[in-house]
Amino acid sequence: MIITVTLNPAIDKIYWVDQLKMAQETQDEFLTRARSSDTSAGGKGVNISIFLSRLGVENVAMGFVGGDMGHVVVRDLRDEGVTTNFVWTNGETRTNVIVLERGHEYVPIFINEPGTPVSQEEITRFIRRYKRMLNRATWVILAGSLPLGIDADLYRVLAEMATEAGARVVISASGEALSRGLLASPYIAKPDIRETPVVDGIPLRTSSEIIDAGKKMVGAGTGIIIVSHEVTGDIAISANGVWEILTPEKSTEFKNLVGADDVLLGGVVHMLNKGETLEDALRFGMAAGTLSAESDKKICADITKIEKHMEAISIKKV
Amino acid sequence: MKVRDIMTKDLTSCEKDVSIRELIFIMESAGVPNIPIVDEEDKVIGFISEKDIIRACLPGYFDMLHTASFIPDMNQISKKLDQISSEPVENYMQGDMIVVSEDDDDLQAAEIIIRKNIKNLPVVDKYGRLVGKVRRIDLLRHLL
Repeated sequence: MIITVTLNPAIDKIYWVDQLKMAQETQDEFLTRARSSDTSAGGKGVNISIFLSRLGVENVAMGFVGGDMGHVVVRDLRDEGVTTNFVWTNGETRTNVIVLERGHEYVPIFINEPGTPVSQEEITRFIRRYKRMLNRATWVILAGSLPLGIDADLYRVLAEMATEAGARVVISASGEALSRGLLASPYIAKPDIRETPVVDGIPLRTSSEIIDAGKKMVGAGTGIIIVSHEVTGDIAISANGVWEILTPEKSTEFKNLVGADDVLLGGVVHMLNKGETLEDALRFGMAAGTLSAESDKKICADITKIEKHMEAISIKKV
Repeated sequence: MKVRDIMTKDLTSCEKDVSIRELIFIMESAGVPNIPIVDEEDKVIGFISEKDIIRACLPGYFDMLHTASFIPDMNQISKKLDQISSEPVENYMQGDMIVVSEDDDDLQAAEIIIRKNIKNLPVVDKYGRLVGKVRRIDLLRHLL
């Protein structure tokens, strides 16, 4: 059983607009009317859960939810066939706003709320429930930001618990939460470098910087590092080599990048879980992520299209 | 149709040492009228509902009354609830649990829900571990 942990899930509120009117001269022009909108459960682990479920892979989504938005997250996941096992908190689940402007959809505007704090009592309640779930876990995916009030060391603690229980651990995060999590030697780590392309003080801007940093992380115990280098290309590093994964599309063709990265990671885990090779897993993940980005919908999981698109993905061992 | 095809895949549950106060918070937040109690391996060992808690707060002679007008006032019930709020759910849960297997037929689940007059029924796997629940609305949704 695959378990995804999203400690700070969200409602993704996507607005499609013709033109985002900002800093115009007259007050009237500040009004931007949305052409259409979409509301759905979000957060890295939640997106992965939905993707896996659409592929027919049984999985359990865990984390914290609260308030009316918490109910929306849980309902969306259940409607998608995901098993839910959330700890309810006193706060309200956050809402992230994404604006996609016509013609510039490949540069989405994100406004992410920090989320409400989680108390020590709620963390204790979660850890207890998480420990129970580990009895059934084969993979544990720890993904996304941490809510306020949570020690940055929590991913390391959760990763060590999962490894001890015999599960493979995946961490997709940024900053201190990722740095601490890497100390638990996860099977896969995917640094989220959207805000700051730095891990442990090491810059991850160029291919060579990513490869050097990735090799250090692998040397320190992480199995596989996957880094989104450019919108249309990723780099994967393991003890067996370094791969550049490229998709032929131009980034300007992308219509909705929300969750595409999570779909990529979900695809990799899905294939490795099936016993496929890392190269095939990366190819599948990139194909799925690209198709998601090309689609207006947030998460695309059309297996026929993904398998067909795999042929277009190039993987080069560096 | 099998139970697994109609169940709601929700694992909201609590352990037997959780306090009544915490249980009420979970029930209210999750919007559920009852909760399965599980052990450290996620095996269902009991069940507790809003009704069980309300009953625990009522005077012992309540069942003999024809009308609630003999109950002095709500303050007494509130006082009793406050008294038991730090007690573990174990003290008030139903130990003779009613569950259904995910491999059972939907008719079996429907029969239990109707006969026992319960709003939802915990579903377990072959190891007795919680995997979901069948709600009355799940049955109706699938019958439509």
